[in-house]
Amino acid sequence: MINLAAKDIKHSLSKFIITAAGVGMLLGIVLIMLGVYRGMISDGTSLINDIGADIWVVQEDTLGPFAESSRLHEDFKNTLRSLDGIDLSSAMTFQNLQLPHANGKMTRVFAVGYDPFGKMIPLNPKRIVEGRGLKHDHYEIVVSKKTGFALGERIPLGRDMYTVVGITEKTVSSGGDLLVYLSLKDAQKLQFLYSNARIRNDRARGIKGMDSHMINAVVATVRDGHTPDEVAAQIRRWKHKGVFTNEAQKEILTGNLIKMASKQIGMFTVILLIVSIVIIAMIIYNMTIEKIKEIAVMKLIGIPNKFIIKMIVQETLLLGVLAFVAGVGFAHLIYTKFPKNVVLLSEDAMRLFVVILVASLLASLFGAKKAIDADPTSAIGG
Amino acid sequence: MDTQQGIRVENLMKHFGEEETRVDVIDGASFTVNKGELVALVAPSGAGKTTLLMMIGCVTEPNGGKIWLGDEKVYDDGWLIKDTRSIRRKKIGFIFQAPYLIPFLNVIENITLLPQANGVPEKEANAKAMELLTYLDIADKAKMSGSQLSGGQNQRVAIARALANNPQIILADEPTAALDAERSVSVVQMLKKIAQEQGVAVIMVTHDETVLPYCDKIMEIVNKKVVMKDSLEDVKII
Repeated sequence: MINLAAKDIKHSLSKFIITAAGVGMLLGIVLIMLGVYRGMISDGTSLINDIGADIWVVQEDTLGPFAESSRLHEDFKNTLRSLDGIDLSSAMTFQNLQLPHANGKMTRVFAVGYDPFGKMIPLNPKRIVEGRGLKHDHYEIVVSKKTGFALGERIPLGRDMYTVVGITEKTVSSGGDLLVYLSLKDAQKLQFLYSNARIRNDRARGIKGMDSHMINAVVATVRDGHTPDEVAAQIRRWKHKGVFTNEAQKEILTGNLIKMASKQIGMFTVILLIVSIVIIAMIIYNMTIEKIKEIAVMKLIGIPNKFIIKMIVQETLLLGVLAFVAGVGFAHLIYTKFPKNVVLLSEDAMRLFVVILVASLLASLFGAKKAIDADPTSAIGG
Repeated sequence: MDTQQGIRVENLMKHFGEEETRVDVIDGASFTVNKGELVALVAPSGAGKTTLLMMIGCVTEPNGGKIWLGDEKVYDDGWLIKDTRSIRRKKIGFIFQAPYLIPFLNVIENITLLPQANGVPEKEANAKAMELLTYLDIADKAKMSGSQLSGGQNQRVAIARALANNPQIILADEPTAALDAERSVSVVQMLKKIAQEQGVAVIMVTHDETVLPYCDKIMEIVNKKVVMKDSLEDVKII
C-alpha cells in the first residue's frame, strides 16, 4: 500500500522540516530548563561532595553556612577531634566576595577558606586545570576559570594583594556563584577582621575587638565502626552545636535552598511542554485542514478511514520524533553558552521523548477527528 | 432480474430541512440505466443533479425509495449495507468537475490508491494502471505529478482513477466543465467508449449541450422528477 504520510511529507519536505525544527527549538529549551535544574543540583552538591565530610558541625539552631549565618570558634575543630568516633576534622569558612578586575569590573564569587596543610581539602585536584592548589597560609588564591582571571594575576582583597596560583573548572556554589579557594587564615581575615577605623570606633564605644579566629563550620569524618548519625547525636547532646550528616546537608541544599528555584524551573518546564504539545496539535490540525479537500476526495472515492488516520498519525509521530531530534541537537549546541551550569542527562531526554511520543499521538487525534468528520460531498461542487 | 441493469432507481426522494424550512429536491425519481450506456443528466442549476448523483453514489442518504447498483439492491428506505464507503470502493467510479487528484501522489499513485485500498497487490495495481493510461493515451505521464499536466490530461488521469477498481458504474459530475469544446468532446467520446467496451453504466451530469449528441440517453430533472428525453430538441439547459 502506498505510504500516504511519506508521500505527503516528501511533497512538502522543506515545510515539514522547518516546522519540526521550530518545535524542536521549543523542545530544546525544555531540555535546557531541565538541564538548568540538574545543573543547580550538581552545583549545590559538588562542593559538599568534594569536601567529603561525614558530618557538618555548625552554629546551634542554624542550618549551616549554605543556608544562614553560622559562626563557631576555630578551636572547636580540636574539641571535636577528641570525641569518640571522630577521625578527621577541619575548620572552614564560606563567604561571598566581589573580586575586582584590573578594568574595574567586579565578579561575584563564593570563597571557601580551608587549612592548606590540613587533611580535609575541599579543592578537588581533578578540577585544577592550570597551576596548583594552595601551598601557603597567605596571599594565594585559586579561582574558577570562568572568573576570567589568569594564572599569576594579582587581585586586591581587603588589605592585601592575592596571587592567582591555580585555575579550576566546574567549581560552582549552590547559589551558582563561581568558587574561589583561600587559606583559612586569609578567609578569616576577610570575613571577620574589621578595618582599622572600625576597630578604633568600636574601642571608643567600649566594644572589644572582634575575634577573627572564627569559622563558619567544622567538617569531620567518622571512624570505622561509628555511624554519622550516632556521632552527630553525641555532638548535639554535649556540645550544643548544630550537626548535620553529609546527606542532611545535601538535603538542606537541594530540598530547602534549591526547592523554590526548582519549583520555578519545573513550572516553566511544564508550561513550555504544554505549549509545545499545543503547538504540535495545532500544526497537525492545520496540516489536516490543508488536506481536507484531498481527504474528502479520498473518502468520496471510497478510501477507508484507517488509511487516512494512519497517514495523520504517522505524520504526527514523525513530526514529534524529528522535533525531538532537533531539540536534542539544539540543546547540545547552546547549553555551554549559558552562564550557569547546565547538565543535560540522557534520562531526561528519554523521558521527554516518551512525553512527546504520547503527546504526538494525542495531538494526532485532533487531526484524525477532523478527517473523520470531513464531509465527502465537500469534495465536489454543485 | 434484468442482467443488463446497471443502475435502477425507484421513487427516490430527498428533502433538506424540516417543516417550514423543508425543501424537496428530488421527489419520486425513477429510472434505469443499462450496462454499457452513457446517460446525460441535465437540469438547471440547483435542480438537484449533484444531489441525485450523490444518492446513487451512496454518499448522500435519500429520504426514501430504492436503489439498485447492478443486481444488488443497496437502498430500500434505508441503506442495506452499513459501510456505504465499501460500496463506492468496489462498485463505483467517480469523475468530478475538476480532476481533484491527490497533489502529493503522482499520476500512477493516484490511480493505484483505490485498488490498493481494496487489497490489490501493488504490482497488479500498477500493471492495471499502466493499461488504463495506455488506453487513455497518457502512459508517458505515469510518473508525473498532476501539476505538470494540462487540464485535459488531468481529467484523463481522473477517468483512469475512476476505472481503476473495475467499477460497474461511473458517476461523472460535469467532467467537461473545465475543458474547451474540443477536449470536452474527446472526454465524452472516451466515456462512451469505456461504457461500451467495459459494460459500465455511466451517468454524466452536464451543462454542455455540445456533448449531448454523444450520449445514449438524456435524462432531465423536471419538477423534482427524472424524465427521459426522446430527442435532443426536447432538452433545455439553462
